[in-house]
Amino acid sequence: MSKLNKEIIDEAIIVENLVKNFEVTEKRPGISGSLKSLFNPKKKVINALKRISFHIKKGELVGFIGPNGAGKTTTLKILSGLLYPTSGYVQVLTYDPWDRHSAYLKQIALVMGQKNQLWWDLPAQETLELNRAIYEIPIRAYKESLDELVKLLEVEKLLSVPVRRLSLGQRMRLEFVAALLHRPKILFLDEPTIGLDVVAQQKVRDFLFEYNKKNQATILLTSHNMEDLLDLAKRVIVIDKGEIIYDGDLKELISHFAREKVIKIYLSKPTDIKRLEEIGKIKKMDFPLVSLSVPREATALASAEILQNFPVADLTIEEESIESIIRRVFRGEKIYKGK
Amino acid sequence: MIKLPKKKTVDKYLSVFKISFQQEFAYRLNFIMWRLRNVFQVFLAFFLWDTVFANPGMVIFGYDRAKILTYVFGLILIRSIVLSMRSVDIAPEIAKGDVSNLLLKPISYFKYWFTRDSASKLLNLTFAVFEAGILYILLRPPFFLQNNIFYILFFILSITLAIILYFLLVLLFSMPTFWFPQQSWGFMFLLMVFVDILAGGIFPIDILPSNIQNLAYLTPFPYLLFIPVEIYLGHFNFVATLRFLAASMVWIFILLFVNNKVWNLGLKSYRAEGR
Repeated sequence: MSKLNKEIIDEAIIVENLVKNFEVTEKRPGISGSLKSLFNPKKKVINALKRISFHIKKGELVGFIGPNGAGKTTTLKILSGLLYPTSGYVQVLTYDPWDRHSAYLKQIALVMGQKNQLWWDLPAQETLELNRAIYEIPIRAYKESLDELVKLLEVEKLLSVPVRRLSLGQRMRLEFVAALLHRPKILFLDEPTIGLDVVAQQKVRDFLFEYNKKNQATILLTSHNMEDLLDLAKRVIVIDKGEIIYDGDLKELISHFAREKVIKIYLSKPTDIKRLEEIGKIKKMDFPLVSLSVPREATALASAEILQNFPVADLTIEEESIESIIRRVFRGEKIYKGK
Repeated sequence: MIKLPKKKTVDKYLSVFKISFQQEFAYRLNFIMWRLRNVFQVFLAFFLWDTVFANPGMVIFGYDRAKILTYVFGLILIRSIVLSMRSVDIAPEIAKGDVSNLLLKPISYFKYWFTRDSASKLLNLTFAVFEAGILYILLRPPFFLQNNIFYILFFILSITLAIILYFLLVLLFSMPTFWFPQQSWGFMFLLMVFVDILAGGIFPIDILPSNIQNLAYLTPFPYLLFIPVEIYLGHFNFVATLRFLAASMVWIFILLFVNNKVWNLGLKSYRAEGR
C-alpha cells in the first residue's frame, strides 16, 4: 500500500473548505413589527461556517472549543448527517454523512448534553431494547455491550426505573449506554457533561477515556468544561465566528497563549498597593496575598523590583492557570494561527 | 412475486410496535378520557339524528332513520381505525428538533411512524368494538347489517387504503413545519377541518350542496370515512365501488411521491434546532 493511500485510510474525518449558511427571517420588534414581518419578511444570511478544514485520524480524541455560536454544534450536526453543508467537502469513514446510509449510521453516535433519546415515560431498558432492534445488534453482542457499558457507567440499578424519575446525571449516563450499544466507531459529543455534578462529570470522563482506548474509537467533543478538555483531549480545534483559529496540541496552545506569569506576593505589612500596579496587573487582592500578572520576559525584573521596594514576606512565580487561558480562548481572544 | 421483509427488519418494527404499546399504557388516563370523549360524541350525534328523523318514514337526502344511524354508528368504528394515531406528534417533533433522534438511526422515518400508528390503532379499535357493543345495547339503533360478502371485503379493503391515505395526509400536513416551525398546529387544524367536512366525519357528505360534493370528490378526503361507510351500506354498485377503490390507490401513489419530494426538501432546510 502506498503511503498516500494509507494516510487516506487512516483518516476518520475529512473536512475541506466546509461552508454552512443559514437563512433566517428577522422579526422586527413589537406588534406592528410582527405584522410587517408576516407580509414582508426580512431575510438575513448567517455564515455559520466559513470554509473550515480539518482532518481527524482514526482513534483520535479531539476537543472542539470556542465561544457560544462559534459553529461547533453546526459542524457536529453536519458530520453526523443532520444538516446539509452549503458547500465544501466532507467525508466521514468514506461516507457522505447526509446520505444517511444505514451502514454509516450504524458506525456513529451523536450525544448531545441537552437532548435525550430515552423514552421519557418508560424505563431505560425499553429504549435499549428498541435500539438493539434498530441497530440490528445480534443478541450476544448486545448482551456483551450492555453488560460492559452498564458496569462502566454504574447504572445497573437504574435500568428499570422510568426515565422521568432519574436525576440528570443518572439519565445522562443511561443516554451514553443507549448511544453506544452499537459500539460506534465515531462519537460526536456535544457538551456531554453539561449540568452534571462533579462526581458524575468525572464518571463520564473516565468512561470516555476508557471507551476511546478500548475500541479505538474516534471522538470529537465540544465542551465548555475545562476539565473535560484537560483530561481527555490531546489535540484541540479552536473555532470562532465560523473559522478555525487554532488546530493543534492543547499543551502547545497553552504555552503559546501563556504570555504572562503570575507573581504571588505575601506582604509582611500593609502597603500602598497602587504602586504595585506600575509593575503589573493586579489580578487578585486578599491581604496579605497579592497576585500580580506580568509579561513573561519581564518576570525577573519585576520580582527584583518588588523585593526591593515592598515589604515582602514571601514571593512565588507561577504559570497562569490553564483554566484562565482556556477561558480567554473561549472569549475569542486573538490567537496566532496554528500549524 | 412478493418479496418478504428480512427477519431483522421485522424485528426492528416489531420492537417499535411493542414500545409504542407500552407508551400508550403509560398514559392510561389520557387514553380512557379520549375514549370517553368519543362515546359522548356518538351519544350527541345519535340523539341529534334521532330527533331529526323522529317522524317514522321520514327520508332526507336519501337517508332514512336506519341508514343515518348506521352511518353514525359506523363512524365510531371507522374513526377509531382511520383517525386515531400518534403521527400527530411528527409536526411538534420537527419543530422542536427531536426528529434528529430518528434521523441519526438506521430506520425509516415513515415506516417508524406508521408502525407507531398501527399500535395506537389496534388499541383504539379494541376499545371501540367494546364501546360500540355497549352503545348498541343501550341505544338499540336500527342497525343495517351488510350480508353481501363482496361488499364486506371491499369495505375492509377501503378501510386499509383509508388508513394509509390518512397517514400520508398527516405526514404531508406536518411537513410545512420544516419551514415554519412555529406554525405547526395551524396546518394540522386545517387538515382536521377538511376531515370533518370533506371526509364526512360529522355528517355524510351527500347531504352537502352538489357543487361542494363535486369539489369534495376531487380531493382525497371522502376516501377516508365517507366512502368506506357507504361501501359498507351498499350504496354504490359494483363498478362504482371499484372505481372509488382505484381512486384512493391513485391518491396514495400521488401522496407517496409528493411526500418523498417534500421530505427531502424539508431535510435540506432542517435546522436541527432545539438547543
